[in-house]
Amino acid sequence: MLSRWVVNFAFFLHTCHPYQRTKIFFYNLLENSHYQHKKYFDVFMIGLIFLSVYILIRSVKHELPHGWLIFNNYVISLIFFIEYILRFWLHSNSSKTIIEQYESDLFLHRPFSLSGALKTIFFQKIEYVFSPTAIIDLLAIMPFFHEFRLLRIFILFRVLKLFRYAKSLRRLISILASKKFEILTLIIFTMIMIMVSSVLIYVMEANNPQSHINSLFDAVYWSVVTIFTVGYGDLVPVTHGGRIVAMMIIVSGIAVISFATSIVVSAFTEKLDEIKEEKMIDSVNVLKRMYLVCGFSPLAHEVIRKLHKRHIPIVVLEKDPKKVQQARNNGLLVLSYDSGSLHTYSHLKLDFEDQVEAVILLHDSDVANIYTALTIRELTKNITLYSVLHHPANRKKLFLAGMNHIVNTHELVGMMSKIIARQPVAFEVIHALRSEQTSTVVDEIILDSDMKDRFYTLLEDPLFYQRFSVLGIYSTQLKKFHFNPHPDITIEPGDIAIVIANRGLIDEFRTKLHRRGKV
Amino acid sequence: MKPRCAAVFGYNEYSKQIVKQIRDVYENVGVFVIDEAEFLEAQEDGITADRFDLSDDWQSIEAQFDVEGLIVFCALNDDAENVFLTISLRATFDRLFIIALAQDNESMMKMKSAGADKVMPILQIAANVINDILTKPIMTQVLHDVLYEDSLLSIIEIEVGDASPLNGKYLHDLHFKRDFDLILLAIVDQAMGTTFSFASKGHNHHIDAGDILVFMGYAEKLNVIKQWNDGVEV
Repeated sequence: MLSRWVVNFAFFLHTCHPYQRTKIFFYNLLENSHYQHKKYFDVFMIGLIFLSVYILIRSVKHELPHGWLIFNNYVISLIFFIEYILRFWLHSNSSKTIIEQYESDLFLHRPFSLSGALKTIFFQKIEYVFSPTAIIDLLAIMPFFHEFRLLRIFILFRVLKLFRYAKSLRRLISILASKKFEILTLIIFTMIMIMVSSVLIYVMEANNPQSHINSLFDAVYWSVVTIFTVGYGDLVPVTHGGRIVAMMIIVSGIAVISFATSIVVSAFTEKLDEIKEEKMIDSVNVLKRMYLVCGFSPLAHEVIRKLHKRHIPIVVLEKDPKKVQQARNNGLLVLSYDSGSLHTYSHLKLDFEDQVEAVILLHDSDVANIYTALTIRELTKNITLYSVLHHPANRKKLFLAGMNHIVNTHELVGMMSKIIARQPVAFEVIHALRSEQTSTVVDEIILDSDMKDRFYTLLEDPLFYQRFSVLGIYSTQLKKFHFNPHPDITIEPGDIAIVIANRGLIDEFRTKLHRRGKV
Repeated sequence: MKPRCAAVFGYNEYSKQIVKQIRDVYENVGVFVIDEAEFLEAQEDGITADRFDLSDDWQSIEAQFDVEGLIVFCALNDDAENVFLTISLRATFDRLFIIALAQDNESMMKMKSAGADKVMPILQIAANVINDILTKPIMTQVLHDVLYEDSLLSIIEIEVGDASPLNGKYLHDLHFKRDFDLILLAIVDQAMGTTFSFASKGHNHHIDAGDILVFMGYAEKLNVIKQWNDGVEV
């Protein structure tokens, strides 16, 4: 009966959307470093930790207001306690464990073992309780349970909680963890040296009335102070035997320090590229809007150079290390990943819908561009893909791969040749306008329906008259271009005016167009 | 003298497109190739190509075309060879109109120094188009249609003749938009050389014979102003 009720409840929780949503929310807040609001939570917790430490320091020599102590002992501790419970809850999925046990038993025609499921849940939770970070969390809550002055020192465990919230500290730990074996060897070596030298110095000095090293504790203290090359000088060996031990341990101390330094330096050197890559991924993840360029070719370099003027961040994906280096030398944000691999996008956690304005495929070959396009199309159908076409025979294949816009340089050059040959000046004019080589440019102005009167009135303004040309208005609804528009042309929201004028004059026109009131 | 014939040097994807586009514009279009592979490829495509080398022997060109009315497209695969071809042609033919293809800006400068009249930097052209499509898609489409497609809108350049009603007028006295439904884009002032200035900047300009005006508008309207400029009553 109880088993049946537990299974039903587990199924209820498993399918209860508000429960799952709440769990996902807290998981994101506490554990998901890519969650956009996590940083605010982390900053809040770091603030509480520093506040706790400040209150501890202040309380050493000052009498604190009662409210401060209540806040420190109860409010902060309660927040930490809630956090501890939430992490305990999130650590494993108990309802899932029960369901899995139930389904497994059902499949094997066995009666449901509630005790088996509870045992699994128990060990999962115990695993969390005895993890180092959970122990620190628990110790940091201690002031909540008592107010003894001595135990206030437990507040310092709160400082250790910083490892949870500061990513750089977590990274430091992970770097050092990669040298676990070397660090362990060093610790064992140091402990043996301290043990041997402590015994030796005790044997040599303890019976000498002039020596201050009279107990084994003194001997250990002296060994530690000496091996780490601190040497306070409050305890010194006076016998020849003791001084020989001192010489030995000083030399060993230098070896220990050198070994420790080399371990840390080599750990950082080995992980440097990884750290840089991680930092770069972090900086990409915070971008709200970007162009994603796949492949770093000479054309990509030129396109990026032009797009930079638009002040939209550009992220490049390139797997060739030489090209990656070349792009980085040009100050670009480049990730050394294969743009044709699904793994790349899951690792980068790119949100195509929200973050990526457009994807521009500029690999040196049509094959690579098609492969990348198909990969991206597996992830999203909504993003706009632009690609360059290297071989005219592949045009159809590029469209089949899901490309929205294809730029065929061969065809362009052919068409340009015709215009240059027939109307060289006209071509130069259009080319100059488009490439923005002069102060006169051609630009788009997005219009609003209530701008209609203002738009035509402004064109008669002496500032703009004869200096500001409206080539036409493109009606987005009718998909029609009205060349040299007359004032009776209706302007709908979203219609686009194509204008030619000095850059400054266009900006001024735009400003006046958006200004409320009479022109 | 307006070119009547064209010579295209090199046979690759670019020159194929050039030949395809200019075939109807000129009376005679010749293709010249530098190696056997290009020669055979042209033959496969049904194009009769002539062989040439980078020496100064241009007899085959002179025999086939009237050099005074010839336009040349230098479209070899290798930029260095293309520069050499350009400088060789310029050294031999002073008045030849040479259009050269360059992979990038760096080569473009060399082509210009070698004597090319117009240079098409391929990378920059492609980058400009991609940039325009991304940032100003409507404008790009409109200008593309006007320039390259059979759109109702078109662009024209007309030269002001001595008898033209435009001769001697000030730009601010003319209302092309209102009177002709045309937009004047730019003017090349004969006195100032071959560089153009945009109409939006030079509305105090005095139009003289020899100036070139660039208009955009519907084909029939462009025809009207062309005729008016030629002295026909409209």
